Amino acid sequence: MAPSESAPTSTDARHGPAPIEEPETRHSPLEEAHRTLGAKLVPFGGWLMPLAYGTGTLAEHMACRTEAVAFDVSHLGTVRVQGQSSTDILQRALSNDLRKVAPGRAQYTQLLDDADGSVVDDIIVWWLDDDTFDVMPNASNTTRVRDAIGGDDTTASRAVIAVQGPEARLRLASVAPDAAAVARFRVTRFSWNGFDCVAAGTGYTGEDGVECAVPTEAAREFWQAVLDAGVTPAGLGARDTLRLEAGLPLHGHELGPGITPLQAGLGWVVGWEKAEFRGRDALERERASGPRRRLRGLVAEGRQPPRDGASVLAGTSSIGTVTSGNFSPVLSRGIAMAFLDTDHEVADGQELTIDVRGRHLAAHVVALPFIPVGKARAASGGAS
Amino acid sequence: MQVPDDRRYSTDHEWARLADGKVQVGITDYAQDALGDVVYVDLPAVGARVELGGVLGEVESTKSVSEIYAPVAGEVVAVNAALADSPELLNTDPYGAGWISEIVPTDVGALDALLDAAHYTALISE
Repeated sequence: MAPSESAPTSTDARHGPAPIEEPETRHSPLEEAHRTLGAKLVPFGGWLMPLAYGTGTLAEHMACRTEAVAFDVSHLGTVRVQGQSSTDILQRALSNDLRKVAPGRAQYTQLLDDADGSVVDDIIVWWLDDDTFDVMPNASNTTRVRDAIGGDDTTASRAVIAVQGPEARLRLASVAPDAAAVARFRVTRFSWNGFDCVAAGTGYTGEDGVECAVPTEAAREFWQAVLDAGVTPAGLGARDTLRLEAGLPLHGHELGPGITPLQAGLGWVVGWEKAEFRGRDALERERASGPRRRLRGLVAEGRQPPRDGASVLAGTSSIGTVTSGNFSPVLSRGIAMAFLDTDHEVADGQELTIDVRGRHLAAHVVALPFIPVGKARAASGGAS
Repeated sequence: MQVPDDRRYSTDHEWARLADGKVQVGITDYAQDALGDVVYVDLPAVGARVELGGVLGEVESTKSVSEIYAPVAGEVVAVNAALADSPELLNTDPYGAGWISEIVPTDVGALDALLDAAHYTALISE
């Protein structure tokens, strides 16, 4: 048995093979706790992070869909931008419009390439109070984002723990009631054991949940308290299958050089009402002509996972490429996101073929996400 | 890691066990642990002839795709159909219910060229 393909999960995709102990590898303040829990640690975005714990990715995935899990996402960057001019700086640099929100709220936004409007990074901004923002890029893009907006890289001063799942708030409430009470896409400061922390009603799983930024000194104790409250630890493997089922893009796959927010179906992230922001001219041209490709969902007939890079065929002609694919634990089928050329009319429900290493998988087109998430999920009665 | 001493092992982490003139083939405990959760197994066709070290099938986990190599040359006479709906058997019982195929070997003596349990244990302990 030997690997014939390095699969495009979030664990290995963008950064290539790296020896585990490169000198510049960064370490989470929770690393020892992960080792004690029996986690498999893998290099990711310059960090050594948990891929999965003892029970494995599928069990962690289902625990998030039915109960509550905790992810260590300390590898995400935090750039603190402060001062009177901070709102203006972010408004000009980032695509979304802060006037849609207010202090005490979180916003999903992007840093675009000024020349072609493609996505340099996707970012969550926590607007703490009037002139204070915590801007959170992907691990490997933190420096690029800081170059564009300034501010202080405070990544090393805190751990970020994401508690996610239908029971997440209930179980977090016994540890940090103020954090557990933060509403969806709201941000609040809270105190825990005398430490100043921040909570936001954000996540990357399609489930309700809260992300907590806790000072490094308090991180291990906070993590243990969350687990003691009945929350299952989950790794990057489950984080990737969860975000895929929820139809959420991953930088380096559905976003990146040459890919614009309009192609990825994220027009709502573009603040068209703003006079200027990086990449605006290029996006206006694309809006006028229409994007040449668009992100769609594909559900395979069987269990075999389509993989990143597989061609999507209509009859015998290639009309696109898979950007992320895996097995959906909820649907028990292979699922994929793919960019399909807009030259071809493709309707939801249409049968297509995915070429997986020479084998043709039958699949059909679906609207994203693959499973009900957020409000739709709550309305349908939740996970159980 | 379990390494039962009633069978032989390839350096590619397949096991082979001779019974009634047929060689049952699977992947080792070490292999399934390295793969993580198995979600799909591509089985060989019954009747297919395989060479020593030839591709017998593929195992896909949530994180990777791996080829399974034939630890002996011969003819595939059975495959484990239960893996189509329950590929997790490779994780939960790699030496038993998670077997992959049965091969009638061209040369029964070919198993002698494989590692015994002690040598395989040494290999995965390196």
